[in-house]
Amino acid sequence: MVETQLGLVIDQERCIGCEACTVACKNENLGSIGFIRVQTQDAAQKDIPAGKFPDLRMTFMPLVCNHCDRPPCEDACPVDAIEKRQDGVVILDREACDGCRACVDECPYAAISFDEEAEHAEKCNLCAHRIDEGLEPFCVVCCEAQAIHFGDLNDPATTAGRLKRAETVFQLMPEQGTGPSVYYCPQMAPRGV
Amino acid sequence: MTSEATTKLIRTVCPAHCGIDACGILAHVKDGRVVKVEPAEFPDPKYRRICLRGLSSLDITYHKDRLRYPMKRTGKRGEGKFERIAWDEALDTIAEKFKAIAAEHGWPSIGWVLGGPGAGTTKFGAYLRLASLTQSTRVSAWGYGDAGLPCGSRVIFGTQFPYALLFGGLLAGKAKPDMVVVWGANPGESQPLNLMRPIMDAKANGARLAVIDPRFTVTASKADAYLGVRPGTDSALALGLMHVIFQREMHDAPFIIRHSTGPYLVRSDTGKYLRGKDLGLDEEQAYVVWDTVGDRPAQCRAEGVAPAIGGTYTVNGIACKTAFELLKELCDTYTPQKTSEITGVAPDLIVNLAARIGSSRETTFVTHMGFTRTYHGDVSLRALGTVATVTGNVMARFKGGYLPAVLNWKPFLKAVPDKPSYSRMGILQLYDAIISGNPYPVKAVWFSFINFLNQCAHSNKIEKEVFANLDFIVDTELFMTPTARYADILLPVCSYLEFSDLVPHPYPYVQYQQKAMEPLYESRSDVNIAAGLAERLGFAEYFSGGEDGFVDLLLDSKDPSVEGITREQLMQGAMPVTAIPEMDQAFDIPFSTPSGKIEIYSEGLVEDGQALPFQLDPLESPVPGKKTRYPLAFIQGHSRFRTHSMFANVDALLELNPEPIVEINPRDAKERGICDGDQVVVYNDRARTKLKAAVSEGVSPGVVNIMQGWWIDQFAEGSVNHLTHDVINPVQEKVYEPNMHMNDVAVEIEKAE
Repeated sequence: MVETQLGLVIDQERCIGCEACTVACKNENLGSIGFIRVQTQDAAQKDIPAGKFPDLRMTFMPLVCNHCDRPPCEDACPVDAIEKRQDGVVILDREACDGCRACVDECPYAAISFDEEAEHAEKCNLCAHRIDEGLEPFCVVCCEAQAIHFGDLNDPATTAGRLKRAETVFQLMPEQGTGPSVYYCPQMAPRGV
Repeated sequence: MTSEATTKLIRTVCPAHCGIDACGILAHVKDGRVVKVEPAEFPDPKYRRICLRGLSSLDITYHKDRLRYPMKRTGKRGEGKFERIAWDEALDTIAEKFKAIAAEHGWPSIGWVLGGPGAGTTKFGAYLRLASLTQSTRVSAWGYGDAGLPCGSRVIFGTQFPYALLFGGLLAGKAKPDMVVVWGANPGESQPLNLMRPIMDAKANGARLAVIDPRFTVTASKADAYLGVRPGTDSALALGLMHVIFQREMHDAPFIIRHSTGPYLVRSDTGKYLRGKDLGLDEEQAYVVWDTVGDRPAQCRAEGVAPAIGGTYTVNGIACKTAFELLKELCDTYTPQKTSEITGVAPDLIVNLAARIGSSRETTFVTHMGFTRTYHGDVSLRALGTVATVTGNVMARFKGGYLPAVLNWKPFLKAVPDKPSYSRMGILQLYDAIISGNPYPVKAVWFSFINFLNQCAHSNKIEKEVFANLDFIVDTELFMTPTARYADILLPVCSYLEFSDLVPHPYPYVQYQQKAMEPLYESRSDVNIAAGLAERLGFAEYFSGGEDGFVDLLLDSKDPSVEGITREQLMQGAMPVTAIPEMDQAFDIPFSTPSGKIEIYSEGLVEDGQALPFQLDPLESPVPGKKTRYPLAFIQGHSRFRTHSMFANVDALLELNPEPIVEINPRDAKERGICDGDQVVVYNDRARTKLKAAVSEGVSPGVVNIMQGWWIDQFAEGSVNHLTHDVINPVQEKVYEPNMHMNDVAVEIEKAE
């Protein structure tokens, strides 16, 4: 048996950068921010295209915890508030966190935020509370573009597992050696008419 | 879990004014409080959706600024000073005031200014019923930017909306286009939002996508080809595309002959269609074609006649050309080079797009109201429709709007059969009715579902002349909007979670917006408010069933689309409409144009110089060869963070999109010494609007964009609609209703002091 690694495949071709995922996350997880944030690639500001009019491109990049195989945040946490579960989800227990920010500094993806008011770190737990009830993460359910796929990445029978195996799919900063469990399908290049 | 046990799930609908989208919502209710909303299931999972606005439902319902009780104005209009009153006092005051004004000026002097009701039906219907029973004035809000499209659609297709004809197949999941052209719409962020999924599905299945828009939108970012057309030049682009299509003989001649007026002969002397009487035929009004079999004129649609699509003929001494010939001659002059000079789109892009449309098996045109919010936007819509027609890409039998018929207000209007109903007035015509009493005086207005001052053209004029000439203003609102500040009586309404309604969307479903919680504070539903006033005006019996009574009125209306569907069924989930019109070009088209065909040539507009979809100069937008007082074309995109002015006060969305910005191209910014993030003033003769600049290649040089919907108080000075004008296009007034031309405005920008 191949072990389970739950994760996401995010399709940039379909992503419309709407940030429904961000709002959905905040509603569901009651974080100080939504833990999935959408950036516009190659742009100084959100929603501003790169290039020169009319030869432009705009690609959206939703960024979220990568639920790494070898999570540096887990190693960094002095109070064991971060744990990689059997199903591959990396959990940060807000209650157990002592607010030292070691994980925030250690994450190469800047995926861990800090709630200044509550004085604890927080991040995407892949809606573990929903997963445990057989539901998908809320950002997946609320994605307007149906661009976020959730599933066992090691199981090619799932959509996520199948998409992950496509040739063009990529991970962020693989050179960091953390083994991210979030994969991206790139936006299709314009083919002209 | 015990907490789960006490949570009730109510299936309802977010009816925000996304019109055709209307996402199904599952509300989680705990101790009478909605604690969560999520997208509800649909029989087809493609329809299960929500957006960042729908996800903000609770931010609206539980917003700290909600109006809590009825109020009467105590300060000056606009000052925002109000005093709490009881519902009885509020409704008594309104009834007395209405009766007094009606006694002096007649009931038509009371105007019901009903904006976009969103996807709801009964809340709108209730006020229509009241307007109808009192024979007062219903002020149609189509002219708020949305009338240009129906004006054009009525002329060419004889139908209010061309949507179903152009993209109904894609919406219904029946079309398999190999080419999609999105023209003047941004479904990635705004209407028709629920087209974005099928568009991307079509693209994944190999279809090419072209997007035509002056802004490089989210939708444009998905395109295989982006055409950054200059505002107000869409007709030229259409003519240029047809130039290539005709030159390469890529047009669909059998479709044109069968379904359009293309083969009909047009008299060169009068510009009118040649008729049977000109030939001495029995059928005097019959249209005439040139029969290629007998090489002679013949009555159209007569047996054995094979009409010529083009050509010049002399019939009974009358020189004639076919309508198609006239169109072709017009397009002859629109070479790619000339078209490029007018539109700003590169010539090879025009040629390639035309060739792609001409050679595709099936092209779906997705459009909305962006480019029809220009002075001649109705003509542009006809131009687009003509491209679709000459390439055979109009769905024939799928008549009407998006949906079969539920948006049918007749059941509300027939409360007393045989009694005259309301008078109808366009919202842009309302200005003059109030200011000058033309065509008759309007002295009191009732605003519902509308933030009139904020969203309608020429806000300064509204404030200083329109409001100033009104004796009485009522507003039903959730919040103290810029408009609400001017109300004499201000009534708190429910958010959608607090009342029930019937929602005939998204196609092909009907949904029940089921009340999920009791109204907060003293808020009431619009149906309830209308009923309260009706009682005081002597019409209580027509409002006795409450919201559900009106829902049943529609369900029991014998309309074939909802026949047999019950409220009980709808409480469980969305129901597919029971009658779905066919879509098949093999059948003849029952268009409601004078000819019964697609009118690529409109004889009714000969005197107006608009028989064909000519490129006519915009009113203000600068185009090459035209001197304008201000150099920049100002347009208003529609943002995903708001639906018109709704959601502009939601903190969760303001975190992501904190303030109004004007987008300006780096070239224009540099010329004016403007840097990204600078405070600037956008101005013209009407106003100065102060806000932050974003220097962006996302708008063409010569074009600036401010997303509409920000409230006036969110600007340092002025607002979007302080810059717009209220000029009436008389052709639109004649055809249907005059439109506000929000995207046909010229401005200049300078760095703020």
